[in-house]
Amino acid sequence: MAAAATIDYQQLSLDLEKQELENGNSPCTATQYSQLLALYLLQCDLCNAKFLWKRIPQNVKQGCAELSNIWSIGQKMWLKDYTGTYEALQRDWSDDVKGIMTSLQDSVRDRALRLVRLAYSSIGAEDFATFVGMPVDKAIQAAQSEGWEVDLQSRIITPLKLEPPPAPTIMSEQHLSVLTDYVTFMEN
Amino acid sequence: MATSLEQYVNMVQTMSTSGNLTQLYDFINKSAEMLAKNASHLDNMFATLDVQQASLGILGILCVKYSHPNIPDLETTLVQTTEFFSKCNGEHVRFATDNYAELCQKFAQALIDRKMYARGIAPLIEAIQKIQLHPAQLTSIHGSLCQLCLLAKNMKPALRFLDIDITEISREGGRLDAKDYLLYYYYGGMIYTALKNYERALYFFEIAVTTPSVAVSHIMMEAYKKFTLVSLILHGKIILLPKYTPQVLQRYIRPLCQPYMSLAAVYSHNSLAELRSTVTEHTDVFNRDNNMGLVKQCMTSLIKKNIQRLTKTFLTLSLADMANRVQLSGPKEAEKYVLHMIEDGEIFATINQKDGMVRFHDNPEKYNSPNMLLEVDKEMQLCIQLDAKLREMDRDIAVNPQFVQKSSGTHEDDLPVTSKRCLSDNMLE
Repeated sequence: MAAAATIDYQQLSLDLEKQELENGNSPCTATQYSQLLALYLLQCDLCNAKFLWKRIPQNVKQGCAELSNIWSIGQKMWLKDYTGTYEALQRDWSDDVKGIMTSLQDSVRDRALRLVRLAYSSIGAEDFATFVGMPVDKAIQAAQSEGWEVDLQSRIITPLKLEPPPAPTIMSEQHLSVLTDYVTFMEN
Repeated sequence: MATSLEQYVNMVQTMSTSGNLTQLYDFINKSAEMLAKNASHLDNMFATLDVQQASLGILGILCVKYSHPNIPDLETTLVQTTEFFSKCNGEHVRFATDNYAELCQKFAQALIDRKMYARGIAPLIEAIQKIQLHPAQLTSIHGSLCQLCLLAKNMKPALRFLDIDITEISREGGRLDAKDYLLYYYYGGMIYTALKNYERALYFFEIAVTTPSVAVSHIMMEAYKKFTLVSLILHGKIILLPKYTPQVLQRYIRPLCQPYMSLAAVYSHNSLAELRSTVTEHTDVFNRDNNMGLVKQCMTSLIKKNIQRLTKTFLTLSLADMANRVQLSGPKEAEKYVLHMIEDGEIFATINQKDGMVRFHDNPEKYNSPNMLLEVDKEMQLCIQLDAKLREMDRDIAVNPQFVQKSSGTHEDDLPVTSKRCLSDNMLE
């Protein structure tokens, strides 16, 4: 289900990009712009989000407050300001972008979790809470459910390292033919 | 008057259907003057001819329309051009690549003059795809497209062309010159820089500055400035340019980019304070060149580079100590930098908040995993393809009549010299 939804989003962003080009000089509707902007954020494509924001005509920006709300998330993401990102995400989004925003929040949280896992051997509960954008008690619970060690006395969390994903196996026959190619190439 | 126009329409129709395209091309070029005189009837003629069937005839009409100093009824012309690019017959217009390129350039220029950048992107993409023989062929339209994309602040559409390495240049009847080539690589570099694909940007700027030349080109000079900055951001030094770099660069362009050279020199001292003062000293120049954003990123990259250097000396280091050594405001800021660098995979380290220490690791890549093998495999495939391409091009040159004539021609040139020498030898005797 989740996979199907992401594919849809990818297709949607491609469609929106195409539509924008076909429109040429006449601007798209505010809905199209806000969806595309939100999708760029979801894809973590901040550069393209920034340029989209820059090229949206002034009158469209003024006509739609939601657009600048979406971009304020982008700004916080650019600065890697997690607290700010979660704060900017907490809004009542219109139906056009609601689904994207929920996915965005999940993906930001996922990324933050992965980063903490990778970068910290121990982290204060308060700092961890800002990373995942939850109140401290909830964050501690979340950490415990991940199987991480939490020292309640000193409020220090010890994240578990992830095992590296299993490497894809190569068929030995295929491997052999690749090596044959190399040898023939080198010898010529 | 009307008869010559009718004749044009008739000729275009008969020759297009009979496939006499080379002759038609000559005829249309000769008719340009006649068409220009009858500017008011051009729209009628456009309506009479079928875009698909008589592409060359339409191309001739459109070229004439754009050659007018202030294009009458611009809106119609733009719509007509857009329609032409989407419907024209690629086989036909390849007989008039020079006119086609001219049309694209004038179309782009007309849009740029009127600040309607976004409008040209989709038509030019179609225009390139129509005229290219294969995706790796460079046309003069590429540069215009990149320029429009930059101006419209919509970089993504250009990537589908930029991501393909060019192996052939369309001659466009001798129209495509060094400027189009340089502009393509300069604009392309700028697009990649804007999207923070610095590897590729550096490669594009490198191509621009290593283009063989004997005179100073402004495009090359600007490209060299950006090359310097991107090289600092990416590698922390100016990377060495290949041997075939033209002499002009060393002799004339480098002295013209003095502020950038001194920036690079100071950068190598690894001192943030010195770098800051150099930047302040040359702020005017950097601002005027619109390179201030890149200069600021150079400063950030110096901080990162200094942190990277620490990993070579220390196994563990306290955040406070790190802040001190890299001239940061305090442990919090140091932690932020380390975190960002871990996220981007620039260093391998773990932060221990309990005792405020950072522990540096070796690169976990041991180069023994199947993943790495796949990676190496990909690179090998690229090399094999490149090798095949090179051989093919080499063979093409070897059998090119002009080349053969020239290389055998030198032999003939040699002959009189030797006979002359024989003569003088004889006289001496």
